[in-house]
Amino acid sequence: MFSSGVKQRQAAFFFALPALVLLLSVSIYPLLRTLGLAFSSLELTISPVETFVGLNNFAKAFGDMRFWNALRNTLILVTVGVAIQFVLGTVLAVLLSEIRFTRMIWLIALLLPVMIAPVVSGFQFRVIYNDTFGPLNYLIRALSGGAVAAPPWLADTRTALLTIMITDVWQWTPFMMLLMLAGLESIPVELTEAAQVDGAGYWDIFWRIKMPMLLPVIVIGLLIRVMDTFKTFDLVFLLTGGGPGSSTETIAYYTYLNGFRFFSMGYTAAIAFIQLIIIIVIARFFMIAQKRVRGGSA
Amino acid sequence: MFRRKPLHLQLIGAAALLTALSFFMFPVIWMFLTSFKTQDQIFSVPPVLIPPAEQWNLDNYIAILTQNNGLQGVRDTALVASVTAFISVSIGALAAYSLARFRFGGDEFSFWIISTRMFPPVASAVPLFLLFRQLGILDTHWVLIIANSVFNVPFAVWLLKGFIEDLPVELEEAALIEGATFFGAFRRITLPLIAPGLVTAFLFTFVFTWNEFMFALLMTRRAVRPMTVVISSLAGGHTILWAQIAAAGMITILPGVLVVVFLHRYLVRGLTMGALKS
Amino acid sequence: MFRPRILFLLVAAFAVLASSALAQEPPSHLGVVDYQLCDNFGGVTVTVVGDAGHNLAPYEFWKDDFAAMGINVEIVEVPFADVYQVLKTEFVAGSGAFDVVTFYPSYIGDFAGNGYLLPLDDFIARDPAAVWDPNMEDVLAPFRELYNRWANQTYALTIDGDVLVMMYRQDLFENEEERAAFQARYGRELRPPETWDEWLEVAEFFTRPAGATLAGETLTRPFYGTAEFGRRGFSYAWYLNRAASNGVILFDELMETDINSPAAVAALQNMIDTLQFAPPDVLNFGYDELRDAFIGGQLAMVVQWTDVPKKAADPSISQIVGKVGVGRVPGFVVDGEVAHRSMMPVGRVVGIAADTDVPEAAYCVAKHIAYNTSLENVSTSLTGLDPYRATHLTNPEAFAPLMGLENARAYLEGLQAALADGYPDLFIPGAAQYQDALDLQINRALAGEVSAQEALDAAAAAWNEITDRLGRETQISFWRQALESYRAVGLIR
Repeated sequence: MFSSGVKQRQAAFFFALPALVLLLSVSIYPLLRTLGLAFSSLELTISPVETFVGLNNFAKAFGDMRFWNALRNTLILVTVGVAIQFVLGTVLAVLLSEIRFTRMIWLIALLLPVMIAPVVSGFQFRVIYNDTFGPLNYLIRALSGGAVAAPPWLADTRTALLTIMITDVWQWTPFMMLLMLAGLESIPVELTEAAQVDGAGYWDIFWRIKMPMLLPVIVIGLLIRVMDTFKTFDLVFLLTGGGPGSSTETIAYYTYLNGFRFFSMGYTAAIAFIQLIIIIVIARFFMIAQKRVRGGSA
Repeated sequence: MFRRKPLHLQLIGAAALLTALSFFMFPVIWMFLTSFKTQDQIFSVPPVLIPPAEQWNLDNYIAILTQNNGLQGVRDTALVASVTAFISVSIGALAAYSLARFRFGGDEFSFWIISTRMFPPVASAVPLFLLFRQLGILDTHWVLIIANSVFNVPFAVWLLKGFIEDLPVELEEAALIEGATFFGAFRRITLPLIAPGLVTAFLFTFVFTWNEFMFALLMTRRAVRPMTVVISSLAGGHTILWAQIAAAGMITILPGVLVVVFLHRYLVRGLTMGALKS
Repeated sequence: MFRPRILFLLVAAFAVLASSALAQEPPSHLGVVDYQLCDNFGGVTVTVVGDAGHNLAPYEFWKDDFAAMGINVEIVEVPFADVYQVLKTEFVAGSGAFDVVTFYPSYIGDFAGNGYLLPLDDFIARDPAAVWDPNMEDVLAPFRELYNRWANQTYALTIDGDVLVMMYRQDLFENEEERAAFQARYGRELRPPETWDEWLEVAEFFTRPAGATLAGETLTRPFYGTAEFGRRGFSYAWYLNRAASNGVILFDELMETDINSPAAVAALQNMIDTLQFAPPDVLNFGYDELRDAFIGGQLAMVVQWTDVPKKAADPSISQIVGKVGVGRVPGFVVDGEVAHRSMMPVGRVVGIAADTDVPEAAYCVAKHIAYNTSLENVSTSLTGLDPYRATHLTNPEAFAPLMGLENARAYLEGLQAALADGYPDLFIPGAAQYQDALDLQINRALAGEVSAQEALDAAAAAWNEITDRLGRETQISFWRQALESYRAVGLIR
């Protein structure tokens, strides 16, 4: 960080200005409008009249079993799913960082899932997971000679959410992998070499030198994945429609139903703000954790 | 670079990579095979794994591109995604520099930036639609560039902030003492050193935009037809054109692959103390 | 950076190859319907919005006619699953982007009630009739009364008549060995099920593991009696087939629901019981899986939309060509008689946006598609539109090139029977919310999360919450209108 002064403050302002203008001009109006809606009733299927209802929408959310179920499903995806993506992505990044000559091929192969639009991959997985017509259970049965009982994947309340999670892991582990790889590549080589000269072993270097250097990248990677997993919608929309039963209804899907199927704008706004608050709390937790580890200085 | 990695770790590593490769590639290969199938081979028992030899032609690719707006979809999305990625990374790098080096606005400001990505887009879509309608930019490329930039700038800012914070500030200070402006120091010293971060940010903002559906659906009608909307349109009420969707999927991964091909060398360039001393 | 030029060269090469590939003939005028085109508007543009794909093909078929009327038709395609959200957003914003809107009739209460659509009665009544009259009397009663009108005015013209029918494997039901085995086991003759209880028995009878014998042949894979639309979205419609036939009419005059009555619970229990005779992943069966399981020769019988018999007759995708019978959806015995009910989910109608600048031209476009050329539009394989007018049912010749005259007759007869049993999807404002709340609970019961009674109690509670939230008084008045339409077509007394 630079020392502070008038010139520094001016420079700081001009560097930040474009982002400031873009974000303020586009996000302030929807945010304020939605905040107003959260305390109103606006049922667009019936009429365009908006009436103030105080905290009714939040009270409704509190007693809405569907909301809590959707939140629970989402939190499972966010915690377990993102953790798997992080661990798997880190392992792959470390492995790739040691490959030089064929790295481009590996990168392309492993990054493909993230490049396929969820609209497309959703349709592929609908066939892949199908018990009757799909290749996955066909191969499981063929390769095991029928010894392994192929699960019904999306068609059973016990496996459907897990299947959504596996699909999300497939799609987004490459994201964590590339982030971690870019982080690893930014670590000055001399740092690790110096440690080697001092007699540090492989794991010492990994845990004591690399991981601390990677911390900012880890935080942003996890944060982005947590935020985006909170928005898990496409896979649910395309693969299960929230079913079987209510087993894969996520909070983003439930918000979508309220917003774009029911046009119940007040309730949509209220549950959107509840989600915002939950994500802010999680994000704050990450920030504090990062500061603790780094001793408060960049 | 190390050379002392234990042998058993190398073996485990190789096995892990191959396992990962099959997990990540299986659906892609399935999509590739599907793009050569006929409609009756999608849902057949037993499944058709590899389409017969005479079907290895580009019929499905031609159909999506010429009969079903695929050409327009690729063009529109390529334009929107590359401009969005360029804007997001440019604006994002500048803002990240401000946050990392000047601590502009402190923690609260940087937190506010990331929080604009947290809000569920479903809730803000209708107000945004009304806003863009007032501006008269619905059904243009700009509306998608702006909407996507709003979601991608926070990502770019935070990612690049992390990379800049890891750089020793002394290099830039040395340049400033030699008479460089802040912008000059940023451009000549910081940017080259965070190349892996810039490339990663570009790739992902590009991919995020390329894959975005909700805004693409709502904010465009006819003049602009992004690829994700074109692809969704292949799933009709009576018929889902599975093979064409797969073909479209194969086409849409091309730009991402090209980005990796052209930019991957920036991802293998680690810093050296030599660079820091120059 | 990537190089767009390479991509475009590649794409240009594709385009050249493709121009030689297509060769399906669009329909030409059959001359069955008498009509006159509107006078020339002198070059106005009418923007038509609809679900993407082949159902917009008619605007391409008849572009010469539109040109003759001085109308330039511009099409906006919206993905099938997203039509409502796109239309509604544009309507709420008052964007005036569309003139002719294609939508699912479930939303007629929402769209007409909110004033987004223009009443069409004035156009319909204009002189000369050959130009303006879409001959509403010709439209089959359920579509006309339930899906085109709102608050005693006409707001939409039907262009696609969806209804569910029962399909079964005629070859299996006529097989002597199977008939004998069925007689021995159940003590009655094997026949396509008339009632939902028979449905259950027949489904049980035909469900067999791999290695068993079916109609004299050894099965290499399991065979199932039936399957349902088990995926979230339309599972409620497959349930309402049963519930409606068991006398459930959703709401009474005061919007008190009977969706958790004993009759409703029995209907749901029947559907739950059916699942044991269905493929193991039936709970993720949507339209496509359900259709392909049947035409792939895996099911003995199924309830599906009326386009599936057409698909079953197509040898390029079907393994059961010529083996399909079409019949009435089964019913429950009420007051000593079997009451059959066939749900009419989806379907398509066109309306005119209230804020259009070119109402007359827009009407001329809509009427041309919905009446003048409707027989041509429903009898070609280039669209997915299904018959909805008496004219369609009485002209099997129009369908003959597609499926042969005999099959066409049988198909239209089956259709007529199904339509006589037609039961509408909810179409009052908030329909999507009622449907979703019911669908969720039906699906939970099917998945075994809750019992039939618990599920329907929860659905009833959710319906009451929706009614209260939208305004009980207004909902009651809307529902009473709906009940009048139900009476008009004889669904209730």
